[in-house]
Amino acid sequence: MAEPAKKDNDTVGKTSTKENHAGTSPKVGVFVCHCGSNIAGVVDCGKVRQEAEKLGGVVVAKENKYTCSDLGQEEIVKAIRENGIERVVVASCSPRLHEPTFRKCIERAGLNPYLLHMVNIREQCSWVHSHDKEKATQKATDLVKMGVSKAGMLQPLVAREVPVEPVSMVIGAGVAGIQAALDLANMGFKVYVVETQPSIGGKMAQLDKTFPTGDCAICILAPKMVELSRHPNITLLSYSDVEEVKGYIGSFEVKVRRKARFVHEDKCVGCGLCSEVCPVKVDNEFDLGFGQRKAIYVPFPQAVPLKYTVDKENCLHFKSGKCLLCVKACTNQAIDHKMQDEVLTLKVGTIIVATGYETYEPMRKGVYKYWEFDNVITGLELERLLNASGPTSGHLVKPSDGQAPKRVAFIQCVGSRNKKINRNYCSRVCCMYAIKNSQIIMEHEPETDIAVYYNDIRAFGKGFEELYHRVREEYGVEFIRGRPAKLTQDPTTKVITIRAEETLLNKITEREFDMVVLSTGLIPAPGSEKIGKILSLTVSPDGFFAEAHPKLRPVDTAMDGIYLAGCCQGPKDIPDSVAQAKAAASSAAAPMFARKVWIEPLTAVVDKELCVGCGLCTELCPYGAPELEPGEKGGMKAKVIEALCHGCGTCAASCPQKAIAPMQFTDAQIFSELEAALVEKRQNGKKRAEAGVS
Amino acid sequence: MKEAEKVFIGGLKEELIEDKVIDESQLEPGLAEEIIKFGGKDVMTCLQCGNCTGVCPISLKIDYKTRNIIKCCQFGLKKYIFGTRWVCATCYRCYEHCPADLNPAEVMIALRHIAVREGIIPPFVKTAATNLVRYGQSVRPDEEIDKIRKELGLAVVHTHDEGFKSVIREIQVLVHASKYDKLIGIQEEIKV
Repeated sequence: MAEPAKKDNDTVGKTSTKENHAGTSPKVGVFVCHCGSNIAGVVDCGKVRQEAEKLGGVVVAKENKYTCSDLGQEEIVKAIRENGIERVVVASCSPRLHEPTFRKCIERAGLNPYLLHMVNIREQCSWVHSHDKEKATQKATDLVKMGVSKAGMLQPLVAREVPVEPVSMVIGAGVAGIQAALDLANMGFKVYVVETQPSIGGKMAQLDKTFPTGDCAICILAPKMVELSRHPNITLLSYSDVEEVKGYIGSFEVKVRRKARFVHEDKCVGCGLCSEVCPVKVDNEFDLGFGQRKAIYVPFPQAVPLKYTVDKENCLHFKSGKCLLCVKACTNQAIDHKMQDEVLTLKVGTIIVATGYETYEPMRKGVYKYWEFDNVITGLELERLLNASGPTSGHLVKPSDGQAPKRVAFIQCVGSRNKKINRNYCSRVCCMYAIKNSQIIMEHEPETDIAVYYNDIRAFGKGFEELYHRVREEYGVEFIRGRPAKLTQDPTTKVITIRAEETLLNKITEREFDMVVLSTGLIPAPGSEKIGKILSLTVSPDGFFAEAHPKLRPVDTAMDGIYLAGCCQGPKDIPDSVAQAKAAASSAAAPMFARKVWIEPLTAVVDKELCVGCGLCTELCPYGAPELEPGEKGGMKAKVIEALCHGCGTCAASCPQKAIAPMQFTDAQIFSELEAALVEKRQNGKKRAEAGVS
Repeated sequence: MKEAEKVFIGGLKEELIEDKVIDESQLEPGLAEEIIKFGGKDVMTCLQCGNCTGVCPISLKIDYKTRNIIKCCQFGLKKYIFGTRWVCATCYRCYEHCPADLNPAEVMIALRHIAVREGIIPPFVKTAATNLVRYGQSVRPDEEIDKIRKELGLAVVHTHDEGFKSVIREIQVLVHASKYDKLIGIQEEIKV
């Protein structure tokens, strides 16, 4: 690697007397940060600075209490201006935290921002080695030595600007997707909303009431759904799937498959005449199998768009080639059984992922007998039974005999907080929906006895604790702290006996109930894995999509221009989903308002001379950045699309020709770091070897 | 202490004060690590849901709460733990149900290891160990059983065989080599 070699013959202050064995390396400034006591409490920063001063090329070495503070940054600027520093090494926290800060800082002083190298002596040193201060100091010294060595090889880079299409796409139209789409549309951006189901609304449309206020879920959601469908800036693509996403922030190219619904959306008026004559009855998925629908259907009365869909699986015409009663009934000739899937290619600047969640399905042979006992249901099924527009018109009945249950038990943490089934997380909503549902049951049937078997009640939100108290005090709902151990059923009466330890009483209890509701947790939506692969999103250990930073970048993803909203990022209640949707909309709007973004220049670069066009990099790249193109002298050569490259280095590690390398992480730079780390040890080794010989 | 001082609102003063308040001196926070050392999982993962007690066949019949013992392990309340009877049959039902993926049955085994090392050995353990080194099996041979076996046409228990003496000898050597005899306190049974 050819370096802009500069002779170090300008004499600058104290360095003039110091030995500089390299003689040609650029002038380096080292800034050691105390980070309060985060670093200084373990690492002897003074010693690190003293050692750094002795290194070749180092002109200035300073220590600061907080280098990121105004004062600390000013010191760097001063050192650049006064001592003519050409490379800056900051030994402090992770570059994830303050690299942008210091880049801006040195840019202010007139230096190229990429001539900065950050040495992590906090996360990777003081925090993990707090038990051994001496060795931690030694490690910090070594790390700084490596950093200084690499800094000398840094090259100035220029960030690249790419245009941003002022069009967004929202994938998934539950409450989060709807909110994000509306916000963006109201800001004046064109938005495509893609929803896989025939109607938008998501899981919230299935719920009865919302906690803690008791608002009817569909009553507050339906106006938003209608607003979305009528908004001039929004194109709603319901019953559609995202198939392929290419490109990068500013200019994504998305292929959307519009599944054939066998009804022309422009002609259907939603009158329902077709559904009336349809002879096929099947379980309605929307009612979780409690209600029924026809083979031509809308999932629920408030569906948006109110366009009928033919269920190909069950339609008689697709089975036997006959029937067509619906076609005869339709006055608008909207039904067309020959309709084909359609694939649209859309160009968008940003994408918001709001693919939501699924509820945990209890185990087939589980302790809670969901699949064996009729009167054991899940929380979402209870929502449908309590819902006024649900299969029972809001009357709570036992599935076994259609009678109202006198005694109802809720079992919490089913499918959450369970290491056995690898669902270690808390689903955040189950406590509150059980409490809310017990309140609704008590309002419907005040004579009902309700018991909630819980581990911990998590009433963390605004007004949640108050609702919890109201349910305990006013409605007399019983709370039993213990995880049920065994459920048995009387074969004739279908009464279920729950055995559990009442842990606060230290006694094993056996109680009888007519109905048991399992408060099932939230798990990633079944299609999210596919979407995650299409968009190259990272996934947290819990299976939900990972945000870029848990605190400071909660709606961004590792992919620029792709944002997260709602439960696809982790379990959330409705207020949190809406808040995150609004945040995602504003994050997505920022580059679209600016119409351009700056792309990091730390991308992979191909040496065309060395590249043999094997294509290994194109196969391995997780972001699809390299592609093959015909070279000037014939043969294929790899080329990196800079906007897609994240500089991860997978290509560099795999390239058999060493033809591809990410900027600032070239082999030469990394080996110089290694060299610096090992040089002293090697010398010691040599000495020892010599001593052994003599 | 004078007789009068012992009496305190209708009961003995010691009786009233003892065990009602758990103070710092009774806690041994290192117990969790000790349990791991003896093959148990980390008891600190327990969320005290009570599922183990609910499924425990022993808990239904006698006053034995798996959950309580795990809680005591978290605190390091050895006094309480070592006061409980060795009734866990290690049926592993608690392990099957535990949402924290803790294995209470193995914790119980670890606790027994610890108890024995602290010299807390229930008499039946000593008896069984003595039987082992004497007869080569933990159950003592019984004339009554021999008679029944004879009636049923079964062979004589092999502990009576002359040839079995060497086997018992072998067991004794092993027991001695592993220092098990010293641990349980049956050194006098072994003549090495």
